[in-house]
Amino acid sequence: MNYLEIIVITLVKILIIFTIMMLTVSYLVYFERRISAWVQNRLGPNRVGWEGVLQPFADVFKLLLKEDIVPLVANKPLHTLAPILALFVAFSTYAVIPFGPDITVFGYKVSLVVADINMGILYVLALTSLGVYAITFAGWSSGSKYSLFGGVRASAQMISYEVSMGFSVAGVLLFAESLRPVAIVEAQSGWMWNAVLQPIGFITFLVSAFAETNRLPFDLPEAEPELVGGFHTEYSSMKFAGFFLAEYANMIIASALIVTLYLGGWQIPYIELLGLPSWLTAAIQVAGFFFKVGFLLFFFLWVRWTIPRFRYDQLMSLGWKVMFPLSLINLVWVAVLIMIFKL
Amino acid sequence: MPKFVLNGEEIEFKPGQTIIEAARDYGITIPHFCWHPSLSVSGNCRVCLVEVEKMPKLVIACSTLAAEGMVVHTESERTIEARNAVMEFLLINHPLDCPICDEAGECKLQDYAYQHGVGESRFIEEKVHKDKRVLLGPYVMFDAERCISCSRCIRFCEEIAKDPELTFVQRGDRVTIVTYPGEQMDNPYSLNTTDICPVGALTNRDFRFKARVWEMSATKSICTGCSRGCNIEIWVRNNEILRLTPRYNPDVNGYWMCDHGRIDTFKFVNADDRVDGPHVRREGKLVKAGWDEAYSAAVSELKSFAKDEIAFLGSPHATCEDNFMLAKFARSVIGSKKIGFMRKEDASFGDDILRKNDVTPNTLGTEIIFDSYLKPTLNFNGILEAINNGKIKALFVMEEDLAANNSEIENILTKLDLLIICAVNFNKTTALADVVFPAAAYAEKNGTMVNFDGIIQRLKPAVATLELDRALDGMAMSRLDKFGTHYDRWAQGKKRDARSSWKIIAALASVMGQKMKYDMAEKVFEEMAASIDVFKGLDYDKIGESGTKIKFEPAAASK
Amino acid sequence: MPVRRRQKDLNFWEKIYIPEIAKGLALTFKTMFKPKFTMEYPEEKFIPPPSYRGRPVLVQEENGEERCVACGLCSRVCPALAIEVQAGETDREKERYPERFEINMLRCIFCGFCEEVCPEEAIVMSKDYELAFTNREDAIYGKDELLVPVKNLNERINFLRQYK
Ligand code: SF4
Ligand code: SF4
Ligand code: SF4
Ligand code: SF4
Repeated sequence: MNYLEIIVITLVKILIIFTIMMLTVSYLVYFERRISAWVQNRLGPNRVGWEGVLQPFADVFKLLLKEDIVPLVANKPLHTLAPILALFVAFSTYAVIPFGPDITVFGYKVSLVVADINMGILYVLALTSLGVYAITFAGWSSGSKYSLFGGVRASAQMISYEVSMGFSVAGVLLFAESLRPVAIVEAQSGWMWNAVLQPIGFITFLVSAFAETNRLPFDLPEAEPELVGGFHTEYSSMKFAGFFLAEYANMIIASALIVTLYLGGWQIPYIELLGLPSWLTAAIQVAGFFFKVGFLLFFFLWVRWTIPRFRYDQLMSLGWKVMFPLSLINLVWVAVLIMIFKL
Repeated sequence: MPKFVLNGEEIEFKPGQTIIEAARDYGITIPHFCWHPSLSVSGNCRVCLVEVEKMPKLVIACSTLAAEGMVVHTESERTIEARNAVMEFLLINHPLDCPICDEAGECKLQDYAYQHGVGESRFIEEKVHKDKRVLLGPYVMFDAERCISCSRCIRFCEEIAKDPELTFVQRGDRVTIVTYPGEQMDNPYSLNTTDICPVGALTNRDFRFKARVWEMSATKSICTGCSRGCNIEIWVRNNEILRLTPRYNPDVNGYWMCDHGRIDTFKFVNADDRVDGPHVRREGKLVKAGWDEAYSAAVSELKSFAKDEIAFLGSPHATCEDNFMLAKFARSVIGSKKIGFMRKEDASFGDDILRKNDVTPNTLGTEIIFDSYLKPTLNFNGILEAINNGKIKALFVMEEDLAANNSEIENILTKLDLLIICAVNFNKTTALADVVFPAAAYAEKNGTMVNFDGIIQRLKPAVATLELDRALDGMAMSRLDKFGTHYDRWAQGKKRDARSSWKIIAALASVMGQKMKYDMAEKVFEEMAASIDVFKGLDYDKIGESGTKIKFEPAAASK
Repeated sequence: MPVRRRQKDLNFWEKIYIPEIAKGLALTFKTMFKPKFTMEYPEEKFIPPPSYRGRPVLVQEENGEERCVACGLCSRVCPALAIEVQAGETDREKERYPERFEINMLRCIFCGFCEEVCPEEAIVMSKDYELAFTNREDAIYGKDELLVPVKNLNERINFLRQYK
């Protein structure tokens, strides 16, 4: 393969993933609304297009037409930068998530990941911690007390949960002996899913993921009843939409990451025993990956409409007094596992 | 002074006072329907029953003389019970058609029914039906069902209007009021009965059903119908005057006012022919112009005349402030002493009660101001004569319709080269004018007037104009005024583009290069008080709501 | 300072919270498949019960006359100052009638005070809730829009009489 081909293939992958992301994000919003409606015995948006399927486009179109209001006391550059940063972080994280095994297209061997870099997970962690800046900037630059509170809460919350998240991931990394997402996925062949091997780590990671994406029950930075919307109180039009999309994109990343780290990535246990042609196996595996991500996304929504919001002190004590020790325990447990399996 | 005990408190009384009077002076109102402070006592409503210790029965407070050492209770159990019973009796045949009754809201029966009634009726019998729409006279409508037979109206006609016209006929529950055969209730004070009638039995046809009393604002002012200057309240809703009612002032009008004042002195304020915005004659026609435009037009015209050719006419319809300003303008801006005003006497108008033959409200004030401030060289007739023989070519007229009913004057006015007018309504004189400034009517401005007796009294604005804001200028406000927005139809009442004459004149003076800056009528009055001896030491606060006598003996107090 | 206690101490399983979350999730999941209450408005319309307070209307008698005698009480009681009444004189038995009767539907808050205060049972709250205007003037309903024949309002009038 020469460079040109690599560039073309990568661009095509980027395009495909970007489109898929945008569509999923839009429809995620749509499903969020429908599912919340169902949980509450309502119907939800069902007017635009068949059963409301065109609703996301109507929403985006409406937001595009809205006036962009910037408060007088806002710090304009940061105010504008914040949503861009949020979106950028959300979308670029996706580069390292593998969504299928290597396949062969037109004679080229193509791995189904945009950038198969050897420290992928580090990259993810690094980028997601950048995400906190977007929110803090937004909160601070708006010049509103509600936004500021939201921003401060967000940074405190994300930093706290990043610790237990990091320790949980460490367990996975130790086990896979690699930072490459593809390697991590491959290490979970058969039933050796990390979720099964390290249930505690799985739970701490899951909870931390909720906190990192600011989803209910941990959506304190937004907390409408107390903060009027938190860090994005002073945002309107497409800037608001930016945060909105970023939140949902982050959910997708979190789900994809969970699938990659704990639920075996694209792997479907014992599928190779069926003896199917390799392209079909690959397709089924890709579908399996998306199914798993889809289920996790549904889980995100489902949890949101089930569990009420935590109080801030509860959030913090959960983070430091429960999640953090648990993730440490998990590390010990992984050490034991490694002793059993690897030595 | 002798004393008696009322509800446990010792109060003083003047010998000869009844209990109700003494209590009233002390500040306690004993409920009453038929008693009226300036009518004779008839004692037939029985609602003022009070308990006097050592008297076997309750007595009526309106006819029992207070006596030294008496102990009176107005709120004891027995009195309350008696009052309840009286109210119940009064309501037996009362139709209770408050929803269609104009009195509702200021009805004594309604008030007392709330205060002293038991709240429900024990009578299931059909009420007695009587005539509900009887025209007693040109203005007064009678509803026989509502009448509680207090006889106030009968006594008023006999004692105040000195023209017995009404009487009771029938008896018991069929008693009703009629005019004497062949008579009408047409005395010039008949509408006062609608005020004193404690219920809605007598109503004013002119005001009937126009508005609810609680929808209007009431402004304390004076009537401009004649030189008596009866104290009145101007009732306004949606910036439109709907009725005038008399206001008590023992030195001027007592409790009363005449029908002419009540009916005929406010409609021109609401009329469609009001001058709305300044008008300037262009190509033979009066056309609307901006204020600055009209000022400069008037000034440039005035400047083309020699000061001997200019004369001024003030008005006894205008306030002292307006006339003073005119005199000041004549003296210090133009340098003319040719100033006068038109007197109006109507020998058929006056009587011994309130009405005066001098039918302009501020004759005395105008006279004092012109005489003591300017010492005019020409009076009204002299000015007309000078116009007639061409000596005076320019005339400034303030708030006076000279040509009304007088074709002679009309002819003389046509000889003028320049006629500038401040006018409230368009009329025959404005038809001849070159510049017409819209003057605020008496209900649209602050000011003072001096009545025939030398009592100076205040006018207060009740109707807002474009430059007079109801809220900002502290005018009386009804609930609707307070909460209305300009989107509400009921708050869109017409506001005219008119200004007080003194303001117009002061602005003209400024355009002519002589700064006269007054921001309110009070400032003009202060200057007037400083420069005219008769008004020395007076200000708006001293004049107050019921006027004050000036140090001036009217030479010939005309009837 | 008073010590606030829990009404009930949580047991271990409740404390670790996860089973409770699972129970909650199960409940919401079940609910998702239950029948929906949403009424699909323009196609399906809500028919209010007689206790419903829709827009206030004036009762028109069978002979075409209004019951209202323009007493102005509704106008006085209306907390939103929505009603303007101008009385006039007629030769009918009730000598007073509303020459003009206007309700500004942008001001009305559907409190029903006007209905409650009316001595003539002349203004009642209808079932009409479809009120949309494109300008302020249209929102001021005059007598032509307000008068509704009494036969269409009997349900509400009877409802009111129960509480008289
Ligand atoms: S007179 Fe008074 S009590 Fe009688 S109907 Fe009129 S307002 Fe009501
Ligand atoms: S009409 Fe009025 S004032 Fe005259 S007797 Fe009847 S209630 Fe009294
Ligand atoms: S319902 Fe209430 S707000 Fe509406 S008109 Fe009647 S009194 Fe006024
Ligand atoms: S309260 Fe009744 S009778 Fe009175 S004005 Fe209102 S609708 Fe008419």
